[in-house]
Amino acid sequence: MTRYFRCRSMIAVASVVCLLPAAVVAQQFSQVSRTTNTPVAPSGPTPRTSDGHPDLTGVWNGLGDNLIGVPNQTANAGIAIENETPTRDVSSGARIATFPRGTTIPLNDEQAERAAALMRRMGSNKPVYKPQYWETVKKLDQNANEEDPANSCMPAGIPRAGIPSFIGQAPTYLIFIYPGQGGLIATQTSYRMIPLDGRQHTPLQDLDGTYTGEAIAHWEGDTLVVDSYGFNSSTWFDQIGGYFHSENMHVIERFHRDGNTLTWTATVDDPDVLLEPWTTTPRVALLNPDPKAVLPESLPCSERDLGHLATKEHH
Amino acid sequence: MPTKTKMLKMFMIVAVAAIAFQPADALRRNATTNAGAGAKVGPASDDPLYRAKTLRAAADALGMVRWSDIGAGSVRLPAVDAVNTMEIWATGTTYDAGQAYKTEYHAAIGYNPPAMRVEMTRTPAQGSGAAQHTIQVVREKYAWDESEIGAGLVPGKGTATPAMSAVSSRLLQLWILPYGVLKAALAAGDKTKISTENGSAVVTFPLGGLLADVMVKATLDANHEVARVETRTDNPALGNMITETEYSDYADHGEIASDVKSPGHIVQKQGGHPVLDIQLKMVDANNPYLVFPIPENVKKAAIH
Repeated sequence: MTRYFRCRSMIAVASVVCLLPAAVVAQQFSQVSRTTNTPVAPSGPTPRTSDGHPDLTGVWNGLGDNLIGVPNQTANAGIAIENETPTRDVSSGARIATFPRGTTIPLNDEQAERAAALMRRMGSNKPVYKPQYWETVKKLDQNANEEDPANSCMPAGIPRAGIPSFIGQAPTYLIFIYPGQGGLIATQTSYRMIPLDGRQHTPLQDLDGTYTGEAIAHWEGDTLVVDSYGFNSSTWFDQIGGYFHSENMHVIERFHRDGNTLTWTATVDDPDVLLEPWTTTPRVALLNPDPKAVLPESLPCSERDLGHLATKEHH
Repeated sequence: MPTKTKMLKMFMIVAVAAIAFQPADALRRNATTNAGAGAKVGPASDDPLYRAKTLRAAADALGMVRWSDIGAGSVRLPAVDAVNTMEIWATGTTYDAGQAYKTEYHAAIGYNPPAMRVEMTRTPAQGSGAAQHTIQVVREKYAWDESEIGAGLVPGKGTATPAMSAVSSRLLQLWILPYGVLKAALAAGDKTKISTENGSAVVTFPLGGLLADVMVKATLDANHEVARVETRTDNPALGNMITETEYSDYADHGEIASDVKSPGHIVQKQGGHPVLDIQLKMVDANNPYLVFPIPENVKKAAIH
């Protein structure tokens, strides 16, 4: 059994999600050796479309960086673990004590899960909720096995879905595909068709809340800006943490291509529940190095384990 | 440099580092040797390898050091100190001006950024008297008191009262917790010395920042857990006081297991007088969602 599938089966037992779609994507890259969780350096030219904008078209799952794997998820939480140098909290700049890799020993499944649960939450970049919601967020995270909507195969939503694994770019619209992974979670496949034709948002009161909201896009220099609102309140807005939101959430995503890398951030503004807008730590995806790469089929998400949970432990 | 020589040199570096940072289990087997059994007081050691071994063993004993390579192929990253936030519920006795109070104690702790919120409900241990409810907060260079948790951040939700003179004393409580001691000792680098007293390893180092004039002396027990912490200071804000804190009964006290060990019993004295004696009821050490936003009026008070 490969390390990937060993840990995936462990996660499934511990906390229950249907992870096969993510496994299918990541399996292709599991043999790539890395010694750091920090983003890979960009290489190669940035292709441009005939109208002069960067061309974001491509399969963006190189190295499985679309949030798969604890080291990447720890990086997404803002912790840069590099070679034998002090680890850095990207948001605060704090240095974190680091110990040589040669001193680590194999962990059993429980130890690995508990370590992962801690490491995914150790970053300082957390959304600041209004005080009346602090306990709610904490309890949702503690009881995530049952409370996390994604554990019931519901859509990940935006911005939790993160970087799309495929972007198709036409002059007046974009297609984003999220193949049933959404980071830690494995939800159903989702897609977005995003106008890039200068149109404005529909008035919020005229929208029925949806999982991905209404998105419109425009260019700011070489950065693609995707502006979304009109959400329902059925999703969490980051991979972990119980970060619920209201129907008044407004999300601004920024995509910047540099050679074979795509850097993404999302700013979440929800004045109903947040004290101030919150911006994710930048995440970086790598273009699939295979020019013929296609997304594999996502398997159905089917939750069958919740009833067998014995503890509240989760990843 | 020829490749063979370069590889040999790299191997030597890795080998030395691996010995220096060997996990707690291995160190425990060598504890007698390292602790200098039989000697009542050993000389302070400047040996960086011995310092690294001692601190790593202590951090491992508390479950602070973690690593993970789940789901990323052949990635094997260095281990890191993964403890940031923690919440503690305890019950026991606190003392104020010689008077004992039955106390319900609740602390929210964060190290990045350094912050602590201590909520206490105290009733006189003898005689009658109304319960006192206090919430004392510190974050970096700011301290304030809250009328309710998160007071002063949104209209209509309580008041936050600046308490700038308490910054040092509140920060000290954060850094003398077992996790704070080890984080600060690791951060102090060469300034951290290791010695032995009655066979136990003793870690001595200065704190930094606003507590730069505070010297910490931490004694480890046979399991490498922080058993006793003594601080001395010439800091007027801390009243030139010696603070002694004893930690015992370590275990994973979490409802959701984290493998982070916490002391089940904490006893603290200042200037030889008892100030705190509490038994832990529960700990959430899974880096829970704890935030410490600074109210605007507190920021303004710090400027004036």
